[in-house]
Amino acid sequence: MLLDVIQGTENGGFVIIQDTVECCGRQLLQSCIAAALHREEDVHVLAFEVCEEDLRLGLDRKYEQRLCVHNGYTDPLGWSEHPLFTVHQFMAEELNAHLSGSEESKPATLIIDSLSWVLRHHPPAVVCQRLQELRRGGALRRVVALLHCDLHQQSIVGSLCHLATAVISVVPGNRGQQAVAKTTRRTKSGKVTHEEEYFSVKEDLTVTVEARPSLHGRPQTEEDEHEADPAANLTFNLRLSEGEKEAKEKLSLPFVFSEEKKSALLQPRPGSGRIVYNPDASDDFDPEDPDDDLAV
Amino acid sequence: MSGYLGSLLGFSTEKIEKGDFILLSDRNADASFLINHFLSLYLRAGCKVCFLGLVQSFSHYSAVALRLGVNLVQAREQGQLVFLEGLKDSVSQLLQQGPNSEACPMGFLRGSQTDLRSLFRFVQRSVGGAGEWSPSILLVDDMSVLLSLGVSVGAILDFSHYCRTTVCHQLQGNMVMLVRVGEEEDDEEGPELLLKALTHQCSLALSVQGLPTGYCRDIHGQVEVRWKERGAGPGGALTQKKLLQYKVHDKGVSFFARGTSSAVL
Repeated sequence: MLLDVIQGTENGGFVIIQDTVECCGRQLLQSCIAAALHREEDVHVLAFEVCEEDLRLGLDRKYEQRLCVHNGYTDPLGWSEHPLFTVHQFMAEELNAHLSGSEESKPATLIIDSLSWVLRHHPPAVVCQRLQELRRGGALRRVVALLHCDLHQQSIVGSLCHLATAVISVVPGNRGQQAVAKTTRRTKSGKVTHEEEYFSVKEDLTVTVEARPSLHGRPQTEEDEHEADPAANLTFNLRLSEGEKEAKEKLSLPFVFSEEKKSALLQPRPGSGRIVYNPDASDDFDPEDPDDDLAV
Repeated sequence: MSGYLGSLLGFSTEKIEKGDFILLSDRNADASFLINHFLSLYLRAGCKVCFLGLVQSFSHYSAVALRLGVNLVQAREQGQLVFLEGLKDSVSQLLQQGPNSEACPMGFLRGSQTDLRSLFRFVQRSVGGAGEWSPSILLVDDMSVLLSLGVSVGAILDFSHYCRTTVCHQLQGNMVMLVRVGEEEDDEEGPELLLKALTHQCSLALSVQGLPTGYCRDIHGQVEVRWKERGAGPGGALTQKKLLQYKVHDKGVSFFARGTSSAVL
């Protein structure tokens, strides 16, 4: 499913790539850019966190003209006299004009690096509204954004992911050497599908999916393989011979009652367990008050 | 990577890389020995250093640097070192009678400014025009004290972004910042959030902690080194980690792999 989302076969999608300090999602973002360029689409990148040279690293040179990087890295807040692109321009109407500017009027892909930067300078509700506007504007085929989910409250991350048609969370895998992508995709009909895959990104920014991590992880299967016979390699004997096994089966345990034993115990046998009382002459035995404790 | 790390930590002689943002942090430990270590390392390598000393006075750093073999007074006179004495400047800012002038680096203390633009302008003036000293280095000790002075996390992150753009990207120099996190603080969110956000921005992070087993006379603590591989590749997405131990001497600090302390071997 990861490859489908990166290739971006559906229109009108909003994809969020979530990452943390442990595992960076920028490579997947770059592979989305590479895939869009490969499909000969226009790509607009709002670059706030890394410089243009780092973003272009690994991209195919022949598609350079289709990639338009809006440099929000050098002066995002307008502290100098001539800022190239500021974070406030994200909200402005001019951006719409920029994005639909090409003559062929083919819808472009918008890449935001990163949404965390924008959220630091604009309220979350306004950002959500703006993202919906951009999606519905018609000039964009797809929006892909990078979000550092450990820098925001869960509620904000949740609201943004609610808007998204696909969310890819990048986390370190159990094996330690590779990263796992947890992809959740929602179709228009409301169906939600989820998949976890080990992935790696090559030098030319193509993504390869290795294998699905098993639900319980590897350690449990290893335990099953190594479960050895506990009676092996001892200095004393814990095993039973055939004769000993037979004797063990035959043995009846003291408090385990079979039917014969129960009936034998419950029926009175002659000569056992009866109480015989022969009163003496001096005993005052009153049959109506044998214990002599009634105040009659 | 190990060669570069070796040269940074003082046990190899390879060249210093350019364009790096090194983040130092500590949790219930004292990482200020790393600031002194980097200060003497870069001054000895002939770099132009801009040092924002917000926590200690100039004479303190000068005394420590003398023991490490570097003369800060001489470096300042020659123009190799530009030192912002945060403690003195902040007092003069707070006691100032007249209106605040834009050029004061500690102007944010007066409350009219919410961002660290004036501090950034000071850094820009200091690292530009390197002349005979190169590359330019920015050292900050430390960032979390700005939080306690009332600056918001967002403003500090904007400041570090602009410093990174200017120092690391435009001038191809290095930037070293220290962030301190304590566990007994009431307002835990501020320092933790600042640390995470700066970790996202940095290329190399050194995190100083005490030994998990407790106090030891010969090993003063451990340093976790984390870095991201540049460019694509199978290991590209994951943060690489390495754990080292250290001991602080009178004349410096020595780093060694776990279990190889001279007291043990």
